[in-house]
Amino acid sequence: MNQVRRLLPGFQTTSAPTSVERLKERGFEAGLKKVFSMTGEDVISHITASGLKGRGGAAFPTGLKWSSVYNAAGPTKYVVMNADESELGTFKDRVLLEEDPLGALSGVVMAAHVVGAKKAYCYIRGEYRDVERRMAEALQMLRSEGWVGTDGVDIEIRRGAGAYIAGEETALFNSIEGKRPEPRVKPPFPTIKGLWGSPTLIQNVETLANVAILFAHDTEWFKQYGTKDTVGTKLVAISGHVQRPGVYEVPFGMPLTDILEAPNLGGGVVGSGRLGAILLGGAAGTFLSREEVASGRLDYGSLAAIGASIGSGAVMVFDDTVDLKWVTARLARFFAEESCGQCVPCRVGTQRIVELIEQGGFKSRTQDLRELGLAMRDASICGLGQTAPVALLSLLDRPGLTQHA
Amino acid sequence: MDNQNGTIYASVRLLLQDMPHERGQLLPALWRVVEHYREITPELIGAVSEGLSIPYAEVYGVASFYSLLDNPGGKMPIYVCTDVMCLLQGAEKLKHAAEEAAQDEPVAVRESACLGQCDYAPAAWSGKRVLRRTTAQELVTAVKEAAQ
Ligand SMILES: Cc1cc2nc3c(=O)[nH]c(=O)nc-3n(C[C@H](O)[C@H](O)[C@H](O)COP(=O)(O)O)c2cc1C
Ligand code: SF4
Ligand code: FES
Repeated sequence: MNQVRRLLPGFQTTSAPTSVERLKERGFEAGLKKVFSMTGEDVISHITASGLKGRGGAAFPTGLKWSSVYNAAGPTKYVVMNADESELGTFKDRVLLEEDPLGALSGVVMAAHVVGAKKAYCYIRGEYRDVERRMAEALQMLRSEGWVGTDGVDIEIRRGAGAYIAGEETALFNSIEGKRPEPRVKPPFPTIKGLWGSPTLIQNVETLANVAILFAHDTEWFKQYGTKDTVGTKLVAISGHVQRPGVYEVPFGMPLTDILEAPNLGGGVVGSGRLGAILLGGAAGTFLSREEVASGRLDYGSLAAIGASIGSGAVMVFDDTVDLKWVTARLARFFAEESCGQCVPCRVGTQRIVELIEQGGFKSRTQDLRELGLAMRDASICGLGQTAPVALLSLLDRPGLTQHA
Repeated sequence: MDNQNGTIYASVRLLLQDMPHERGQLLPALWRVVEHYREITPELIGAVSEGLSIPYAEVYGVASFYSLLDNPGGKMPIYVCTDVMCLLQGAEKLKHAAEEAAQDEPVAVRESACLGQCDYAPAAWSGKRVLRRTTAQELVTAVKEAAQ
């Protein structure tokens, strides 16, 4: 199976990424006009019918989120694009914004129009300065074309400053509000009480780009790719021991082997040339063995059956010489450093995991690690603490992956 | 308020002059300050606190949370990614090479978590420019450039 180019512009695209020609060539201008001529309910029912789910990690149904903000009471509403992208092995939003910034930004304009937001924010990680510049250029063009501005939606870029936790939606609101980026307790959910306590629609870059291509075309077109359960395409970021690390757009349902091996995708395993494992989904992802990769497909349903998830779309490839315990030790230290420290299970738990791994307690303390993991999952406020032990637990569940080391 | 403090307060006021003086502008304001002064000292926190009418402790609490605002000593930072995918491509050695080159320079080599450039590992970031599939030689050059 091959890569697809829908979210990413086709290779034949000639216009400059931030130009009005690009807006036309990609169909975003027509899409914007279409959305502006439809009722909010109608737009939302199209999104719901497309089956689109959030691409930031949690795969929440996008139509449902829009309708929740649409129906929320309140004179002021906000839209936020989450481009904080600071998860290990994750760089798909960077590439998407580099190659086609107008897709995601058209999605922001559509979203603001539908839910009635006068103000939107694009929150981008502080290390993506080149991308930020490109986004500013694209916004400038949209402003001069009348899609962005004080009569419609005003869009402001916010630059993060090196805090992984700020990517969590409620922490991100606090960051924009000028407070410490610490997550808030949910509920209330952002759709009801988000930025400055107002209903807020927050979406990942790739989700918004999907909305833009959906309206640049139509639902039938959108459904050309994917599986019965999961419609459309997904950006995967492949890194590590492959011939061609990079971001590729693939249909849902694609065999994981193809993602690694196809000549125009990963291009095959390098390093020792023998696959050891992949870490799928990011720092809080799941290790999959060679056998699981051989039989797995990129689909929420089939991955859930083996305890995995697509997460952010990161596919980190390790040859069979990499010590995966070492990888989990790095991950553990990352989470311990990035925990905001608000809740005890996460603050203490992430530290405990580091200690247990570094004391060599990996095998002998398996039971302790499992119990700790469960306590963190159940008692942490936000996704960081809830999922910090996931990769480690997935390794404990697959003793074959650490046998040689 | 001593004289030097007075000058800093005035120049921060000038630096933040054209932005709305509201709480929501605190992070953009801190970015401006750190880009101008390279570090955020207690006096600068005081100046921002006064400029935006936000309590000192709150400004401090926010400023100290973010790693990119934390540049004690005010040297030019160079961030070498020492996260998993870059370590697989020899980031440790690169870091040492950069540290060696920076020894007598006003440059601080810092380790960074994943820079979101794993398709070009090993990666580094100078605060302005991303160095992709970087080499010891390129990093040493970047250190020398940053020192100027
Ligand atoms: C620690 C943490 C970091 C996160 N970082 C990001 C991020 O960088 N980008 C992102 O889109 N979502 C991130 N999320 C998920 C967001 O909270 C939120 O679910 C997402 O932006 C919703 O968008 P979607 O429905 O379009 O996926 C993060 C979550 C957690 C717990
Ligand atoms: S789970 Fe961790 S990161 Fe999340 S709010 Fe609690 S302490 Fe902070
Ligand atoms: S691990 Fe270095 S850029 Fe991602």
